[in-house]
Amino acid sequence: MAKAAKHSRQSSVASGELKRAPDLGQVTAAEPRTPNPEPRVAVTIAGVRFQNPVLTASGTFGYGQEFAQVIDLDRLGGICVKGISADPMPGNPPPRIYETDSGMLNAIGLQNVGAKRFLEEKLPFLRTLKARCVVNVFGYSTEDYVRCIETLNEGEGIDAYELNISCPNTRCGGIVYGSDPKLTGEVVAASKRAARFPLFVKLSPNVTDIAVFARAAEDSGADALTLVNTFVGMAIDAETRTPRISNVTAGLSGPAIKPLALRLVHQASRAVQIPIIGIGGIASPEDAIEFLIAGACAVQVGTANFYAPDTPIRVAEGIEEYCRRHCIHLSQLVGSLKLPESGAAPAQEV
Amino acid sequence: MLDAIVPVIENRPLTGGHFVLSVRSPRQAQAARPGQFAMIRLLGHSDVLLRRPMSIYDARPAADGTTGHPGLQVLDFLYKVVGRGTALMAALKPGDQVGLLAPLGHGFFAEDYLAEARAAEEVLHVAGGIGIAALLLPARELAASGVQQKLFFGGRTQADLVGVYEFKPYVAETVLATEEGSLGHRGYVTAPLKFYLEAHASKRLLILACGPWAMLEATVALARRYGQRCLVSMENRMGCALGVCLGCSIRVEGEGHAAYERVCTEGPVFWSEHVVWGGDMPPKT
Repeated sequence: MAKAAKHSRQSSVASGELKRAPDLGQVTAAEPRTPNPEPRVAVTIAGVRFQNPVLTASGTFGYGQEFAQVIDLDRLGGICVKGISADPMPGNPPPRIYETDSGMLNAIGLQNVGAKRFLEEKLPFLRTLKARCVVNVFGYSTEDYVRCIETLNEGEGIDAYELNISCPNTRCGGIVYGSDPKLTGEVVAASKRAARFPLFVKLSPNVTDIAVFARAAEDSGADALTLVNTFVGMAIDAETRTPRISNVTAGLSGPAIKPLALRLVHQASRAVQIPIIGIGGIASPEDAIEFLIAGACAVQVGTANFYAPDTPIRVAEGIEEYCRRHCIHLSQLVGSLKLPESGAAPAQEV
Repeated sequence: MLDAIVPVIENRPLTGGHFVLSVRSPRQAQAARPGQFAMIRLLGHSDVLLRRPMSIYDARPAADGTTGHPGLQVLDFLYKVVGRGTALMAALKPGDQVGLLAPLGHGFFAEDYLAEARAAEEVLHVAGGIGIAALLLPARELAASGVQQKLFFGGRTQADLVGVYEFKPYVAETVLATEEGSLGHRGYVTAPLKFYLEAHASKRLLILACGPWAMLEATVALARRYGQRCLVSMENRMGCALGVCLGCSIRVEGEGHAAYERVCTEGPVFWSEHVVWGGDMPPKT
């Protein structure tokens, strides 16, 4: 693939070029619609066309192949692979996961095979799929991120990078970059310079004002944003008075976080013009449609893959069914939230 | 491995809060190998998200004989009510449905394990509490190939020693232990195991163990001391059982990226010397 074109500040959806009105985050289909249009759910983000707007979230889908026996991978919009670092990482000591009401805590610690082995062992399979391959990239320093990207640049079949500056479970790096807008800007700019493919940036929800970080990433060259990573939380065994997770704190995911994530997607979508990929507790088509209405142009399914691997496919089918039922194009759904006249929305205005 | 929605045909209560859940699933029953496990998903409870890992206790023909199909039809799961998930499982009734991802993991007789078992003069099953659930199918398979077997089975009380009757046809002897002495030896099951290993130090034995971490650790220490080989079936919290969440990883011999292996994929059965004991203890389930 040729070096990605200068990042587009908008997403386009299937046949219709999509234009986002910067002030309202609204979307209109520019092309005239045929009288009885077949709703299309394909979406193009930073020049990468996804056959539907549903991706699997990093860390919940391995390297894709693990699910080949269970679901039809060719029906996914995209696969975000487990976070890859320049060098292999062992991960955290157990216990690493704990189930909470409607959610789960994890502190895996980004155990992964490293960039070189990913290219040799995992990428050849991913290349054969219709689903787009988004490689989640992680590092402990800006140099780490750049080194990882430079190694991955050699790979054929990678469609985009997703910069993980929001992992709550590693001591240095990760969330450190996601908690300081200056550092966010620095690592995004350096990664963008190094990247041969479009760069998505996955932001942390553990910040006071998401708009500041969304803009920092956009201003530094991010082609799209993924919102959000897990919320930092913890659980304690009351009998033994010990943490349930060896890392003490862990990232909370699952349906429990959906309202929190939705609010952040809504606010970020009003702060930036680059496309947003919404993620956080999506387990049904309705969940995903809420994210699209809030301003995301695509979604990721995460924790649900663990207990119901057919979720991303059901979500994609459900979005298509919704568009057909409402006689609309996916593009008309994105950012279509109807706010009350009184302007009760506390969203950060650009 | 197959992901299916299957009907419950029975959910039989035993002593001490134990139950045997029986589901009809011929394809999964016929694919199951001794020591493999399944993930059970409770449907319709959005607050209990994750599937529960359960040893495949038994794979058997349908008892009612109404299906008219030969071969294995039913999978049994022996479990104890310990938390919200198992409490909901206990409420399942015949006709209800559960999600079942099965069979999973390497069983006891993958690759070199079976050859090792056949070469042994005697196989010792060492079970702690609900750990017995992983050992019934291996015992049956070994009995079919004429291997001499013994069962060492420990629990907190008599009520925890479920499934002894089912084991009887396959073992020459059953040694029981309870912590408070209500049945068998008083104390841990590793005490009579130690006597036996000491008395039969010249025999070539193979130990198959499943139970709480502390019992496994003590069993493995004994095996090492008396120079016997030991296979352990490990238990851990699991997110996906497909090998992607990396939540069930345990510490094994190896450095760097090779320091952890997944119970769901590389396990649940490991050679005892491959596991790093002490230190990072998996949680109680």
